[in-house]
Amino acid sequence: MMGRSRDVQVDYRHPLPVRLWHWTNAAAIGVLLFTGLLIFDIHPHLYWGEAGQEGQGAFISFSGDHFEDKVPRTGLRIGSHRWNTTGRLGVLSDSGFGDQYLLLAPAPDDWQYGATRGWHFAFAWLLAFSLPLYALYLFWSRRLSSTLLPTRAQLRGRSLLREISEHLRLHRARGEAARRYNALQKLTYLLVIYGLMPVMVLSGLAMSNTMNAVWPGLAELFGGHQSARSVHFMTAMLLALFILVHVFQVFVAGFGNLMRSMITGRFVSERERAR
Amino acid sequence: MTRIISRRGVLGGLAASGALLSGCSRVDEKTPFRQILGLSDAFTLRAQRVLLANRPLVREYSLSQLSATFPVNGTNLPPGDLYKRLLDAEFRSWQLKVHGLVNRPLSLSLHQLQDMPSRTQVTMHSCDEGWSAIGQWTGVPLGHVLSLAGLRPEARYVVFHCLDKISMDGNYYYESLDLLDAVHPQTLLAYGMNGKPLPIGHGAPLRLRVELQIGYKNAKFVDRIEVVDSLGSIGKGRGGWWEDFDRAVWYAGQ
Repeated sequence: MMGRSRDVQVDYRHPLPVRLWHWTNAAAIGVLLFTGLLIFDIHPHLYWGEAGQEGQGAFISFSGDHFEDKVPRTGLRIGSHRWNTTGRLGVLSDSGFGDQYLLLAPAPDDWQYGATRGWHFAFAWLLAFSLPLYALYLFWSRRLSSTLLPTRAQLRGRSLLREISEHLRLHRARGEAARRYNALQKLTYLLVIYGLMPVMVLSGLAMSNTMNAVWPGLAELFGGHQSARSVHFMTAMLLALFILVHVFQVFVAGFGNLMRSMITGRFVSERERAR
Repeated sequence: MTRIISRRGVLGGLAASGALLSGCSRVDEKTPFRQILGLSDAFTLRAQRVLLANRPLVREYSLSQLSATFPVNGTNLPPGDLYKRLLDAEFRSWQLKVHGLVNRPLSLSLHQLQDMPSRTQVTMHSCDEGWSAIGQWTGVPLGHVLSLAGLRPEARYVVFHCLDKISMDGNYYYESLDLLDAVHPQTLLAYGMNGKPLPIGHGAPLRLRVELQIGYKNAKFVDRIEVVDSLGSIGKGRGGWWEDFDRAVWYAGQ
């Protein structure tokens, strides 16, 4: 089919603002997830309400302990359910000041922990400024309606079911279908840009006494100071999940083509012939 | 009894001397990474200064929301004979020194501080580790003490020298604030907590409460307040023990 004449067409898929935002954001979220995890590791417990401290009603608690064994054990507690996660999630590392629980990433050896929060804020600024600009750009450029809002036809039950089945079977979209986003893709991008990311920024700001002095009620929006922290962490995990699936899908849909389209803007698809 | 001190006297001289947006003077921030970090730090400070232009108070809670226990972080009990002697004398021999760029250096006993106009507030303490606790604090607004001492025009920062020597590097804990945080009406030199004298673990006889900032800025065991024009010559010059030891952010914002 592809052999005799490569009958392809090239779309200028991603205008410069899209590519710029995508990579700025990728870098920012990478640093934010890494530093965020380092911050979380120091107190890996989540609470609901205003205040929260160790031993006082965390609804999610990660932990690590030597107990009497030589091999350290790690655990996860959600509500009253406990799991032994040794070897699967979390490790204990000797920080020099006693054992330190690490959920995922250890910091480089010469990392200065005091600066973690500084780095987190530096890249949070980048994220917090570029997000509303991008959201407005999508709106003004009409990209929101032309590429991100699902069409009526896409939202029909049968069409959605077909999409789900194709996603589950890891079918690569071809021809005309590859030239536009499918409904699941559109809904996911909308959720991330207009849902998860604004919640990340707002719940981050809601943890600040200063921001609550300036905007009374900001923390209560999430149910309190510690609730905002919990929302911040859980939304970050949803974003991390999105990134994992997103990168996986890039491989499913064609790594070279998609990377080129996000670097140069140009996306190649097979031309469908009229029969 | 809660009384807010007029800050006009202090702020008048402040605005005139153009100190409103003074950043932290840093001497050894040469690498590009450090410069980015310093830039972001300065940006956070300026952004929050703009947002705080109307001088709002941070949220205060009701007594029913007090945390049942309040974690003791950092030093539990300052090591050494000096603190033990002060403690044995129930801090009767202790005096808070206020010196540096002030017109009238002060030496104030705990009693004298307690006789000054006081403020009691129930606020949230957030640690950069992630936990938080609600406590009630009683003390004299720092702005009142500074106005008694009288700031000289070149004054820019207020440094808190503490009684606790930190074993990790053998230096005494210290912290610093710029003048705007220092004269905020909720910034207190606290001698009482939850209706009782300040417990040892929380910094007896006197600790700083700076509600616009995160935990480590709230220095405990405050012994001496020094008013300076630059932080460069104190410690490693980054404005605080954690800032020096572990590159913690000086304007921690919160």
